[in-house]
Amino acid sequence: MNIKLRSLFCILLWVILPLATFVSCTLPANESIPLASFTENYVNVSIYLERNSEGNYFLSGIFLPPEGYHLYSKDIPIHGVNGLGRPTLLELAEESEIKALGILTESVEAQEADFDPKELLVYPAGAVTLSLPIKLPPGNHWIDEELKVTYMACSASQCKLPVVGKIVPIRIPGVNVFGHP
Amino acid sequence: MNKKLMLVLATAIFLACNFLFPKNPASPPEEIIAPPTDPALQPSDPQDLAPNGFTIVRLHPEDGDLQNMLADEAQKATALGQMPIVEFDATWCPPCQAIDAAIKSRDELMLKAYSGTYIIKLDVDEWRWDNGRVQDFRFDGIPVYFKLDSEGHQTGKVIDGGAWGEDIPENIAPVMDKFFHGK
Repeated sequence: MNIKLRSLFCILLWVILPLATFVSCTLPANESIPLASFTENYVNVSIYLERNSEGNYFLSGIFLPPEGYHLYSKDIPIHGVNGLGRPTLLELAEESEIKALGILTESVEAQEADFDPKELLVYPAGAVTLSLPIKLPPGNHWIDEELKVTYMACSASQCKLPVVGKIVPIRIPGVNVFGHP
Repeated sequence: MNKKLMLVLATAIFLACNFLFPKNPASPPEEIIAPPTDPALQPSDPQDLAPNGFTIVRLHPEDGDLQNMLADEAQKATALGQMPIVEFDATWCPPCQAIDAAIKSRDELMLKAYSGTYIIKLDVDEWRWDNGRVQDFRFDGIPVYFKLDSEGHQTGKVIDGGAWGEDIPENIAPVMDKFFHGK
């Protein structure tokens, strides 16, 4: 009885342990790994690594300004329109081993401002998510990387201090960490 | 030869005089409703003089110590019978620029609200807004206005853009009027 129980335990160990290891090391589709989170100048920023159902990876940044505040379009110039506003950006550092596979996309469409200059596109008040399709860096281990984050939050009558090109350290898995090249 | 030289010199002097002493200055002094009576009371940057019963000056860090400059400006304001107010703004701030535009366009509501004030503008980028403060001034958004006493110290009375809604004179002016004049 004891021997049978011991054998059963060994079999379970041999089956479950590798399975558990495999499952824990694979990023399931449509799930995400938190990479960084911070609040600066009243905007909360959370950055995730996500994988969609096709197996593509994305860096996603959720920008949450204070209630009643909006952020500016990712497409306005870095120094604003006529100097006004700052874009919302999630960028790779210049010498990053992560490769962008496409352009930054936004969760909500930016709109013309209610005031001049009209080219100063703003997102509706509230959170905005920016996503960047990426190719993970080579290797089978986690590596230290840096991202750059830019944003500025304003309400209809007040602005918080902009954050421009803030370096955000992250630790990101190499492409082979999840068991697929 | 000498005649030619004289002609060239005369032309140069004529051009220089016209350049240095233009007939139509950009800001005619007669537009200033409450001009300083003493030349020594001229604000730091005379071009910033608003033409309507109030004064706007801008201070820069390279000009000296902030508290000393505020004390000087507060004295000038008091001598003019105006209320010294510090305003923090920035070039990238649309609401700040909207207020400036309303004043420059001589919006009547804004001019009335600002009458009798001496606005001392400080750019938060120049003055290093860090961790919600510029020296002794604490604030979490701009534009923001601090009342000063006649010695340039904060009185504790503050108002910011959060006090009104959309940045239009109809919203801003009544709130500012009440803040400035206690109506």
